[in-house]
Amino acid sequence: MTGEILFQADNISKTFGGLKAVDNVSFALRGGIVTTLVGPNGAGKTTLFNAMTGHLVPDHGSVTFLGRSILGLPHWKVARLGVGRTFQDLKLFSHMTVEENVAAATESGSWLWQTGGRAAKAERTVRIERAIDATQLQRRRNARAIDLSYAERKFLSIARIMASGARLWLLDEPASGLDRGSYDRFVSLLRTEVKSGVTICIIEHNLDIVQSISDRIAFLDQGKLLAEGEPKTILSDPALAAIYFGERAP
Amino acid sequence: MFTYIVNLAILIGINAILAVTLNFILGYAGIFSLAHAIFFGIGAYTAAVAAMKFGADFAVATAAGMVVSGVVSLALALPALRVRGEYFVAASLGLQMLALTVFSEWKSITGGLGGLIGIPPARLFGFDLSDPVLLLALTLACLAIILLIIRALVRSSFGRSLKAIRDDETAASALGKNVALLKTLAVMVSSSFAAVAGSLFSFYLSFINVESFVLEVSVQIIAMVIIGGTATLLGPVIGAVIVLLLPALLTYIPYLPPTEIGSIQQMIYGLAMVLLMIFRPSGLWGYGSDSDKQAAP
Repeated sequence: MTGEILFQADNISKTFGGLKAVDNVSFALRGGIVTTLVGPNGAGKTTLFNAMTGHLVPDHGSVTFLGRSILGLPHWKVARLGVGRTFQDLKLFSHMTVEENVAAATESGSWLWQTGGRAAKAERTVRIERAIDATQLQRRRNARAIDLSYAERKFLSIARIMASGARLWLLDEPASGLDRGSYDRFVSLLRTEVKSGVTICIIEHNLDIVQSISDRIAFLDQGKLLAEGEPKTILSDPALAAIYFGERAP
Repeated sequence: MFTYIVNLAILIGINAILAVTLNFILGYAGIFSLAHAIFFGIGAYTAAVAAMKFGADFAVATAAGMVVSGVVSLALALPALRVRGEYFVAASLGLQMLALTVFSEWKSITGGLGGLIGIPPARLFGFDLSDPVLLLALTLACLAIILLIIRALVRSSFGRSLKAIRDDETAASALGKNVALLKTLAVMVSSSFAAVAGSLFSFYLSFINVESFVLEVSVQIIAMVIIGGTATLLGPVIGAVIVLLLPALLTYIPYLPPTEIGSIQQMIYGLAMVLLMIFRPSGLWGYGSDSDKQAAP
């Protein structure tokens, strides 16, 4: 599993009016590692995420997951294939409890009932409990999402993606705003999940977080993929640092 | 007096079914429909025609109404639910207008503006239900069954999916939920059960016409749901009781000219809605949180 190409985008572009948000980007995500997308604001990171999950259809290029084209598939179908994502604004089910939020993530069937009978139900229950335990939300399981603290909401968004059973997690700024203790728990949680076979791709602005969590880094600017490689190589590149901090045009 | 109370109770029961079924989509799925009276009407006309032309008893006539109403709801839901909420509101308003015209003009089936008269009394498995007390029992039994089914649905994975869609469609979709299909199913279930109220209504009155299914009726059903409490099981029932008892109670206020009761009633509805939005936005039966609502019956 580790090292196998799970997700592949080839020459994808997306234009909004006259703005090329993603410009001919080719990019692969290998299984069992954490890849981080970095770049200044407006680099095209979230647009790339949206193209990867079917929330946007690229104008050009191909997108495959586990060797299968997912280009043009509605995002609920992409999700069912095993691509999960979180959002910058979390998009929790605010008026549902923590447990309901997590349970809803395990139930992708769209009929009046879930298929699979008791065995599937028992398996879903295990996933719900594991996600709630791993994110330490046990004591808040009956609280509404809207009543949680910011850190708890962040962990709930992780619990949801964990319970969904997704193999590829796309996390949009998941650690922003976390206090030190929550951040350490968060990194530890991601590391545990990666060890268990999950592949993670993160958008992150905080370079300390990027350094501590990433196995690989892809650097984007103005819709273009400028560099991809080991964290120490990318983060020590003075040209990329200058772009990141807005000191020099690419 | 007893007959009056029984008749009022039947009407309350029928309207409670309408409010409970609208709440299923409005409260739990966040789908705002202005066409609920149309599905009520489809149930009423279908049951009436089934009884008058084919001698169908209550069960068969109601089942026919549910099927027709469910199929017509697909015509609304399939195109309209692929887009966001406000478009569905507009589409449902369009259906309300269009269907009302069909009710008025399709004279061979609906009797046109004059409506259908001489609908035979309800029979169920050979038993005559022409006695209003028996019809009240049937109405309450239907309401109880629908409440139990909706309670089971909202506590199931289907209900959770609807609530997830209500809270955030994009996130629900990102978790693999086919939002359009789930919403279509919800509208179909709601419309089919609204037809039960229509069937009861046509057997109760033995006469129906287009006046009973106008936009004002749809708005009144929405008022029942909001006054009682959206996303609660019993809130819409309480809303129906209040909305239907209000005009009856107003008639007992001395010195109130009978011709002004309608206007006063509208003013009280309006005032009640404004006060509710300020002081109890979750409705009379609603609580502060969803978990509380679930704990409540």
